[in-house]
Amino acid sequence: MADVAAIRSPDIKKQSGFAFIAGSCIAVLYLPMLVVIAYSFNSANNLGAKWHGFTSNWYNVVLANTEFYDSTILSLIVAAAATLISTVLATAAALGTTRGRPWRGQGSAYLAITTPLVVPEIVTGISLLSLFAFLSTVTGIDLGIWKLILAHSAFCIPFAYLPIRARLEGMDTTLDNAAADLYATPWKTFRYVTMPLLVPGISSGAALAFIVSFDDFTITQLIAGPGETTLPLYIWGRIRRTLTPELNAMCTLLLLISLAFIVLSFILSHRRRA
Amino acid sequence: MLNVKKEFGHFQAVDHVTLNIEPNEFFTLLGPSGCGKTTLLRMMAGFETPTSGEILLDKRSIAGLLPNGRPINTVFQNYALFPHMTVAENIGFGLKMLGRRRNEIVPVVEEMLRLVRLEGAGERPVTKLSGGQQQRVALARALAPRPKVLLLDEPLSALDLKLRQSMQIELKRLQAETGITFVFVTHDQEEALTMSDRIAVMSKGRVLQVGSARDIYEHPADRFVAGFIGETNFLEGTIVEAKGRVARVRLKSGADVAAAMPEGLPTSGDVTIVVRPEHLQIAADKDAALCATVETVVYFGTDTHVHLRLKDGSPVIVRQQNRRDGTAPPDVGTEVGLSIPDGVAQVLKD
Repeated sequence: MADVAAIRSPDIKKQSGFAFIAGSCIAVLYLPMLVVIAYSFNSANNLGAKWHGFTSNWYNVVLANTEFYDSTILSLIVAAAATLISTVLATAAALGTTRGRPWRGQGSAYLAITTPLVVPEIVTGISLLSLFAFLSTVTGIDLGIWKLILAHSAFCIPFAYLPIRARLEGMDTTLDNAAADLYATPWKTFRYVTMPLLVPGISSGAALAFIVSFDDFTITQLIAGPGETTLPLYIWGRIRRTLTPELNAMCTLLLLISLAFIVLSFILSHRRRA
Repeated sequence: MLNVKKEFGHFQAVDHVTLNIEPNEFFTLLGPSGCGKTTLLRMMAGFETPTSGEILLDKRSIAGLLPNGRPINTVFQNYALFPHMTVAENIGFGLKMLGRRRNEIVPVVEEMLRLVRLEGAGERPVTKLSGGQQQRVALARALAPRPKVLLLDEPLSALDLKLRQSMQIELKRLQAETGITFVFVTHDQEEALTMSDRIAVMSKGRVLQVGSARDIYEHPADRFVAGFIGETNFLEGTIVEAKGRVARVRLKSGADVAAAMPEGLPTSGDVTIVVRPEHLQIAADKDAALCATVETVVYFGTDTHVHLRLKDGSPVIVRQQNRRDGTAPPDVGTEVGLSIPDGVAQVLKD
């Protein structure tokens, strides 16, 4: 039987060295994170590699740190608002570029929506900075926190768009026909058929947008006004002042929040299949 | 009541088709793939717009109505069931969209489940059903709002043979019980023959013949219809005498045959005649006018197909019923005589 299996298809897992390469990849990806997590429990007073003993005290320090709280809440607010705005726009864009009659410029629209993914972040950041500066000079209105939210929404759109579009493309369009055939208006077709089937795409798009916004540093650094210190900005600022394992604890918490959203999105998209 | 008239797409998918479908009729559009039958159906449903011409329902044009405004429902080829809904939610969808209340929908759904023999399956997710069951749900969903016309787009093509045959009978029963006009699209001539009240045979966007199964099988309008419906022998010959509706045709192989003569055909010149394989008889005497050599004998259970070749090289098939006491089929390679009884051959329009 083993011979038969071997003939059927060459199994890449049986190649010599496969386990080693796979193991190395996993190690490179996750070991640094494990180090950060492990050293957040180091009782030393600095970020050195020397292990002084176990303590969970750094977490107490972080949780008692009001600046950490404030920046986390700001990050959550910005990420939530940006996720909402970008997901709604991305859903509309995905519907517009996959449903209905093909229209002139549909291909260009697809490119226009996804190209920001490959534009260097620093370029996006500086162009947004110039735009907001121009707007405030012309209109005299300072958008305040909305600058951050709008900037985040802008670069989150392609991240939200791709999974939603992929889901729409995988969906059978005769379902839309069937709904219309059964007396559903276009709005009801969307409400009762397209939308429920799109939930997994929307939730993974939204989760991606949220993580991208929550973790963003480069663009935020350029756009954020005084007092608008998001969590990544705060951690960056702390590195320049005091280096204690408290930083590790903050990073671990940031990691946990990100993971929580991935898990949430996974649960949301798989709940219906259960 | 349904008065469908012509229309065509940019490449004449449907070319000046005029059909009159009667109320409570089981009407079939039959033709090979690409003949325009599905396009015609999609125009009735409202998914395609005719380039010209109009579609009348109860003497009123439905051209301006979107699919959701037409009292016509469709059973799609791939069923197109809503995968996120239960069986009952699928069946009740049309009524819900029509704004019916829950207490009106529930009994109809129950009745539909009974009609398609899926009692008790209402709460199951449609994704957990077998192909045959999904087919029934698709039917129930389309029938639940009581449409004036039910369109069926090759709904049986995904089922295996046994299931397909039982669904054919089932469909016929459903049509009789509900009294709804069925318009059925298929490329399967057997399906068309067994279920339909009337059949429209289509090819290349045109309707070639409309008639009952018997009409079309026994009196095909032209060579395409004769060849598409059932197995047929085509024999070339020349008219030697035409008297009223009967012509004497001299075949290339020499024999004279009496063939029915449809109206409107030239009464002289070269023609093709058509004879069904079950109407030909293998004669014992080898001196018959029509002689042929046996090439292959295929046993089919109820009957045996004998493939022969005439003297002039044209192939002929004879279908013999297998009887317990009956004569055994001839051996391969032997020469036999063939006889064509009067009244079974017909002169064809080319």
